[in-house]
Amino acid sequence: MSELAIRHGAAPALAIEGLSYAYPRAAMRALEDISLEVAPGEFVLLAGRSASGKSTLLKAACGLVPHFHGGEVEGEIRVADLDAIATGPGELAAAVGYLAQEPETQVVSTTVAAEIELPLEMRGDEPSARARAVEEVALALAIPHLLDRTVDTLSGGELQRVALAAALVTRPRLILLDEPTSQLDPVAGDELIWLLRRLNEEWGVAVLLAEHRLERCLAAADRVVAMDRGRLAFDGAPSDFLAWSHDADPALTTPAARLFSLAGIEPLPVGVRDARQTLRGMGIAHPPPQGSRRVRDSHSSEPVLQAKDLWVELDRGEEIHDVLKGIDLEVRPGERIALMGRNGAGKSTLLRTAAGLHVPVAGKLSVDSVALLTQNPSDYLVRERVGDELPGEEGLAALRVVGLEHAVDADPRDLSGGERQRLALAIALAGRMEGEQLPGLVALDEPTRGMDRARKDDLVALIEKLAGGVAFVTHEETKATGAAVVVATHDVEFASQFAERVVLLGDGVVIADGPMAETLSGGWYFATEVARMLDLPGVVTPEQGAAALAGEEPR
Amino acid sequence: MRFVDGLAKSPFAYVPRRAPLQLASPGAAVAYLGALVVVAFACSNPLVLLAAAAAATLAGLLAGGRVAVRAGWRMGLSLALLITVVNALVYHRGETVLARLGHWPLLGQVDVTAQALVAGLSYGLRALVTMIAFAVYSACVDPDRVLRALRPLARRSALTATLVSRLVPVAAADASRLRSAAQLRGPAAAEVGVAPLARRLLAGSLDRAVDVAATLELRGYSLGARARNRRQRSRYDRRFYAVAALVLAVTIAGKLLGADDFHTYPAITIAVGPTTLAFCALIVLSGLAPLRRKPKRLPVRLRVAHV
Repeated sequence: MSELAIRHGAAPALAIEGLSYAYPRAAMRALEDISLEVAPGEFVLLAGRSASGKSTLLKAACGLVPHFHGGEVEGEIRVADLDAIATGPGELAAAVGYLAQEPETQVVSTTVAAEIELPLEMRGDEPSARARAVEEVALALAIPHLLDRTVDTLSGGELQRVALAAALVTRPRLILLDEPTSQLDPVAGDELIWLLRRLNEEWGVAVLLAEHRLERCLAAADRVVAMDRGRLAFDGAPSDFLAWSHDADPALTTPAARLFSLAGIEPLPVGVRDARQTLRGMGIAHPPPQGSRRVRDSHSSEPVLQAKDLWVELDRGEEIHDVLKGIDLEVRPGERIALMGRNGAGKSTLLRTAAGLHVPVAGKLSVDSVALLTQNPSDYLVRERVGDELPGEEGLAALRVVGLEHAVDADPRDLSGGERQRLALAIALAGRMEGEQLPGLVALDEPTRGMDRARKDDLVALIEKLAGGVAFVTHEETKATGAAVVVATHDVEFASQFAERVVLLGDGVVIADGPMAETLSGGWYFATEVARMLDLPGVVTPEQGAAALAGEEPR
Repeated sequence: MRFVDGLAKSPFAYVPRRAPLQLASPGAAVAYLGALVVVAFACSNPLVLLAAAAAATLAGLLAGGRVAVRAGWRMGLSLALLITVVNALVYHRGETVLARLGHWPLLGQVDVTAQALVAGLSYGLRALVTMIAFAVYSACVDPDRVLRALRPLARRSALTATLVSRLVPVAAADASRLRSAAQLRGPAAAEVGVAPLARRLLAGSLDRAVDVAATLELRGYSLGARARNRRQRSRYDRRFYAVAALVLAVTIAGKLLGADDFHTYPAITIAVGPTTLAFCALIVLSGLAPLRRKPKRLPVRLRVAHV
């Protein structure tokens, strides 16, 4: 089929019929009797809990399954009328672009320009055509300034955008995205979703987007497909999806829908604009302000971290770059702090400096014992038995803190993603506790990547346990305060669940530092969906929103 | 240690520079550095091996890969030391007994001889030369160009191409992350240990190389089309091919003339005559191949415009 026919053909962008698939040596099928069609120019959101089969479905649509991963496949997959099972991913590359969860594994070149140019070169395009296409896609994704950088100097978010540019540069008919916003700050995440919508509308690119943070993209979608244990559980309009998820799987619903549900308002809104229109229609324009969640008064205790005019510089290959530019920060025991800011604002660098991985070039830093969990928990796991990672009584105490004492004999590879993360945290904690007493500061760097809401709820419980300290009572002893927990995160909804204080970094400086409810309700990007919907100071969660709405008499 | 946006940057990471070795085609660079590795494996005279190590070091320094050369020396010396010690413990031949270490489990009576030590040193020097040459290759040869050069040879296998061109950069990036994680382990957690870390690094790097190969497939690596590239050849290619040929020719000649003579058992004999010294000098001089000459000023005829 000619490229013109592929680009403008009337055939569905993706047609799947009776698809079942099992990975090699897997006990269960990852996909079970899937039938799905994505029309040209359609924007489809793929929802579902972790391990529900979303990623496998996307890999099947781009030919990696079964061509690259092997396994047993039944059924039919057609991409722009090409048989994806008979044709390999290389041949499908003209019609489909794919962006995987981990941007680190998606770069094969040394420089950004070479990375974006590679698919065109593989296709045999002329140098002048390649140069133009690279320039255009870089402009569309706002990354022309990155073109000359080497990929090992990019942040996770920048890398994600470069990988997306490489997937889009051939102008495919169908683009498949697996949690593309998981590493992006709220600004970049929103920009990406609206960019996809623009490409979808202006270029006619069909989009199949798998995402956990549905509140970010539900309003942009034409249709939602939900998966459950390898099967299609729902296929319909976004508003119908909300009604379905409310009954079938509340973990998939959005904060705005939860708020409406709690307040007894119908129909459930697919986005902020939709919710505001409904509220306006009901005459509820400005519910009265509510009192924000109180921040614990911990000023009496000594800070566990004290930074004064802290400067840290890092090498970006060609130049030395100031990443932290005079940070002033105090953290006290028992505080739960969300460290937020755009990609490259210095969040990870601040945590790594506190943990002693970087040496400040100026300023003062005094810090208690720090347990830091970096973005890749698997990096902490080097042995084949949990007990071998954490030997002795102190190791067992650390396992008890994270609730993994039952898994001493397990192989870390057999643990779930959430359990592996907790094991890595236990490794960081081991020996930094006095008996069962936690270190002064527990820091987590982007811990919610790829997590569904149920796993985030587990993490919130663990954070509260760490900060509360009372969970680690040893027989008759009780700890008055727990560790200060600082979490670098882009996930505003998650931050609203666990944090009592938000520190917002902007280009290496602290630009806001205050109670969570105030900080996450006072802006547009660094604000929860409920805060953007109601625009009330201090109202950030569905429960607070419902309470605010209950205090307003409809006019 | 250098840090790049929060992560320690591997000393073996490729850094683009406008130096002859970086500008040369991958084939020429591999031929040149490969010739030095051939010397290491073809010869056993420690003087010749030290000359090859000096040549690889010189090449790396002239190409701007100081950090990589230093790391190559560090790793190569560790490996050389290990090989020397193991050889001394395992081989008991030789006339000059330096130490009698008694009866060891598995090894039996262990007598450390000067001959076994020197023989081990020779093997260790081979490993040292290979490590330095490899470090220079990794830091100075563009993996993108290696990937493109491999495409006609391994078009149907993105995995092969990835393993050849990307395994080292991927492993280097993984190693820097694992090093950071090792520093963050609590004091009561088990020591990371060399063997578990190496196993984890190898397994993780292979996994990630497979992921990168999948991406390469998605970018259309296996398609038949071959793009025309703007910069395929380099004016330095001939120089590196010529030096590689010269090194190989000198090595063959040196072997035939006995310049590499070296025997360890039962007694140590080593060639140190003028032929050996000349052989060594030529090998060391081959390390100057990446030297960038100052551009000659070409005669320019100025045209004066009369207004």
